[in-house]
Amino acid sequence: MSGYFLGIDIGAAASKAVVIDGQKKIMGAAVIPSGTNYATTAAAVKAEALKQAGLQLADITSSAATGIGGRNAGAKSYHGVIICDARGVNLTFPSARTIIDIGGQGSQVITMNGEGRVINFNVSEICATGSARLLQVVARILQIGIDEIGPLSLRSAKPSSFSTSCTVFLETEVITRISQGDKPEDILAGIHHSIADKISGMSRGVTLEKDFAIIGGGALDIGLVQAIEEKLAVKALVPENPRLMAALGAAAVARGHHAGK
Amino acid sequence: MEYEASKLFFAGIDIGSTMSKAVVVDDQGTMRGYVVGQTGAEHRRRANRVMEDVLIKSSITLDEVAYIISTGYGRVNVPFADRQVTELTCHAKGVASIFPEVRTAIDIGGQDAKVLKIKNGRLTDFLTNDKCAAGTGRFLEVAAETLGLGLNEMGQISLQSDTPVKINSLCTIFAQQEIISRLSEGQPLPDILAGVYIAVTTRVVKLARQLKVEPPVVFTGGVAKNAGMVKAMEIVLGMPVLIPEEPLITGALGAAILARDEAFKLVQAGHYKMEKKQLSEAYIEFTEKDR
Repeated sequence: MSGYFLGIDIGAAASKAVVIDGQKKIMGAAVIPSGTNYATTAAAVKAEALKQAGLQLADITSSAATGIGGRNAGAKSYHGVIICDARGVNLTFPSARTIIDIGGQGSQVITMNGEGRVINFNVSEICATGSARLLQVVARILQIGIDEIGPLSLRSAKPSSFSTSCTVFLETEVITRISQGDKPEDILAGIHHSIADKISGMSRGVTLEKDFAIIGGGALDIGLVQAIEEKLAVKALVPENPRLMAALGAAAVARGHHAGK
Repeated sequence: MEYEASKLFFAGIDIGSTMSKAVVVDDQGTMRGYVVGQTGAEHRRRANRVMEDVLIKSSITLDEVAYIISTGYGRVNVPFADRQVTELTCHAKGVASIFPEVRTAIDIGGQDAKVLKIKNGRLTDFLTNDKCAAGTGRFLEVAAETLGLGLNEMGQISLQSDTPVKINSLCTIFAQQEIISRLSEGQPLPDILAGVYIAVTTRVVKLARQLKVEPPVVFTGGVAKNAGMVKAMEIVLGMPVLIPEEPLITGALGAAILARDEAFKLVQAGHYKMEKKQLSEAYIEFTEKDR
């Protein structure tokens, strides 16, 4: 099939766009912060992805959007993020059957078949602890960059233990741990365990099958990925850019719709 | 109020996550004094302090206190207590002593919330939330900090609103962000604040509905002192709520009343004859009056 297809994912924290060609090859992609005006953000992230692909808007055959602000993205159609996650991961890792998506506002566990069709899923309520947001809060307290969290946490020999799972209460507890002399790496490793517990609790009622893929902003944190692997006793696949999966899936859906016509 | 010199007293100490409270009752179970103070980091020091203060307030000495029960999250850190009792039991007792008809008690504390079903003064069922800051006083503190307002001030301002803004996030962290975006959109402050109270209340009422809300409903905890919160609670529940004169002390009051009951039971069982002679005398006097 010829033509180019655009997928846009306007998430709670970040917005992403992916351009694929008729053979589902990624031509260009972009990630920017979502901000407060989703329509403006959508236009900006779309323009950036087209630039990366070396294409014009006129070259796009069809488009689809997903995510919390996806309805304001000016795409031809809108699709739920669960479906788009599944399609995007299926394109990237055909062997994946379970997806753990750790986003900016919550997380979801999805199971699917070999064609990328969703079998079952659980979506967390909007909760900072089940999302990448907790990591931002803790990084701010520890005065480190988000990118430093993962590598630093891997140095922990004795993860701190926390008595609460609420981010608001954890803020206080992290400060108490610091005053008791816990090392930053131990605090981070402990926080990773808290998130992993929350996510593993969410996967109850869903039959999880190999292979596992961890995606979303949370998957950029190697420490968190390892904590989840440990908790679920599995090895996980992580895409090179785990935040792009839903946008990639949306592009694939746009292509599929066009092919179906 | 005049006190009889020979009277004995009983105390309840409630060390909560945010506030510590102490209540003294006499042998009739009538409250003689109470104090409320911040808990702070050092529970033991706080426990001593509220005990000393409540003795002063009640114009009595420690020797006159026959039995002490501690309750609340920090109840293990009250070294002078004769016994520890869970806050649920104490709370039910305290609420029912003020409102004997109570069927549902909703208590929102600084870091938790509980819903109690009570029948004929006895606790029949309960649910608690101490896992999530949404639906606790902490949510309101975060909102107040975000807006740079005092907690009482926030309640008063919210009363001006008839059209609360909808706060969609149940999570405190995200609600904080939402409050800021609503402000930047130019929504009136009273409407935002009224929305904050509706959001906290909705979370707690969701818990309460799992146990079926039956009137009369008693609303307690520090948060019940807030006018904005009370209004929101009545709107969300769709029925009026009863509030004790001092909604913070129901747990400590229940503990004090239980202390009295417990002490009398011990005397009845033959303990305490030697070491607490006065208590035995008070008990005999009390039971004789009862006959």
